[in-house]
Amino acid sequence: MIKVTDLTKKIGNIQALSSLSFSAEDGQITGLLGPNGAGKTTCLRTIFGLLKPDQGDASINGIDVASDPISAKQALGLFPDPFGIYERLTPREYICYFAELSGLSRSAAKNATTRVIGELQLEDIADRRCKGFSQGQRMKTALAQAIVHQPKNIVLDEPTRGLDVMSTRVLREMLRQLKEQGHCILFSSHVMQEVASLCDRVVVMADGKAVAIGSPQELCNRTNKTSLEEAFIALIGTDEGIAS
Amino acid sequence: MNSRLTSLVRKELIDAIRDKRSVMAGLYYALLTPIILAMVFSAVISKATSPEDITIEITNGPEASHLVKHLRAKGIQHSDNSTSRKPITLVIGQDYAAQINRSEPADITLIADYSDDNLRSSIRRTENALRSYSSQIASLRLITRGIKPSIINPLKINLQDQATSDSKGGQLLGMIVLMIVLSVFVSGMNLAIDTSAGERERNSLALLLSHPISIRQLVVSKIIAVSVFGLLGLLLVMLISRFVYPLVPWEELGFSVEITYGFMLIALVISTFVAVFAASMQLFVSFMAKSFKEAQTYITFVMFVPMVMSYATTLDFAVEELRWAPVSGQLQALIDIMKGKDIPLLQLTVSCLSTLGASVALALGMERMLKSEKIVFGL
Repeated sequence: MIKVTDLTKKIGNIQALSSLSFSAEDGQITGLLGPNGAGKTTCLRTIFGLLKPDQGDASINGIDVASDPISAKQALGLFPDPFGIYERLTPREYICYFAELSGLSRSAAKNATTRVIGELQLEDIADRRCKGFSQGQRMKTALAQAIVHQPKNIVLDEPTRGLDVMSTRVLREMLRQLKEQGHCILFSSHVMQEVASLCDRVVVMADGKAVAIGSPQELCNRTNKTSLEEAFIALIGTDEGIAS
Repeated sequence: MNSRLTSLVRKELIDAIRDKRSVMAGLYYALLTPIILAMVFSAVISKATSPEDITIEITNGPEASHLVKHLRAKGIQHSDNSTSRKPITLVIGQDYAAQINRSEPADITLIADYSDDNLRSSIRRTENALRSYSSQIASLRLITRGIKPSIINPLKINLQDQATSDSKGGQLLGMIVLMIVLSVFVSGMNLAIDTSAGERERNSLALLLSHPISIRQLVVSKIIAVSVFGLLGLLLVMLISRFVYPLVPWEELGFSVEITYGFMLIALVISTFVAVFAASMQLFVSFMAKSFKEAQTYITFVMFVPMVMSYATTLDFAVEELRWAPVSGQLQALIDIMKGKDIPLLQLTVSCLSTLGASVALALGMERMLKSEKIVFGL
């Protein structure tokens, strides 16, 4: 479970987060939906302890990120944007490396890597160097990295950005499976369809605040709209920076 | 805790070995420097010793046949071939013979371009030959007047050269050691940039920091990887030097250059401190840079400091204090060992400790820097 309470953060002169509070439950997919510049990435970075909030705190499975970052990060997997692939390593080395950094022993990391390569059907590219990989291959490698140590909580930053239809479907399928297994999944997006089709709960963000929290259906009901897109526009008061 | 550090170091090294640019940077230096230096030394030695006869232009030679004979005995002859002879002209005055007979100073003019470095030793030889002829004549004149020639030599200067054959080549040996030690800086440089500024440019730094590792582990692993690269470069340069330098005709200068395995071992141990310092410094600077290119510029500037200190030490215009300072202290100790002197233990210990201290300070600075959001995300 990921919980943020009263997060406030100023970057330069910009109030990136102001009193943001929400929680993402286990066994659910929670979407962080907001226009560009709403503070989604800042929020995710704060969850990983990479940014220090001016006020408020974030906790993973009840562990405070600020006071015990190592334990908190142990229970997290990150699918970053951009991916941060090491082009001179093969996916197998890349995934195994991050598994070891997440605390697995070398042999356990190797086994976990082989397992996740099987799950994501990466076998054909697993021992090729990542240089020259397509966006879809990179996505799969990055996703494998995020879930190899089977963290209870998985955070994805704009996961479908730049992916083709097939890759997006692979990703969605994987996220549904992870949800079935009881993982807590939190992802940020500004793509309406993706959020509507995947999420159990949506946190609508604007100007660093959570303006509404609920299931897609609840949000539609609350705003008397038929589609999430219209509900969203009604909630944030503008259609700027949104992809349908 | 330790296994994470091992994983970090292993990945850094695998990544570095596969990076052609990083490997080549070290290889080029290690391969080319000893070879180029050996070629330069060979050329310098053959010029300095200038063993063969030289030919110059002597005008009005018949006027001073005795002088010309004296010069020939010293290996200096007249030649009519203006392409092969040195551009030095010795003009014998019109009244030479008459002036000699009257015991007046006889006019002789030596015409040459004194700023031409290539001519310098030939000019000096000609001057010395003329001077020795002059004093020979003077002595003869004194004898014919019944005066002991030694009366015009009030001082008898005895020279006792205490230089051993190895210390004679002091500056040359210094250059050789300097080139060896600099390999530590050059070999790891590209890797240092790639693993810091490059890491951020490829967006993997934030991902790395999102994992449950401490920043200290990250910094230490990077320092280890860059140091290892620097030391590998050092080992390579020493191995190649071992085979290349014996080809230079050192014996003409009266000393020898031999890079023994014993020296290599000591150099490796002492240079480990330098390597760690070089790695910390280069990483520190490149983490401050926003991109690969920017880091390259910064590093070039920063490298200047140890370079100047090292040159000062090598070329012997350094102040005594530099013997205690980082990098130049170790360099001085290695030069001493190479010259066959005793190891200056106290100075070496102090300079190694100060090097270590500087490295730790840089590492702590890096740790602080990577905790800063501004540095990691370039905000």
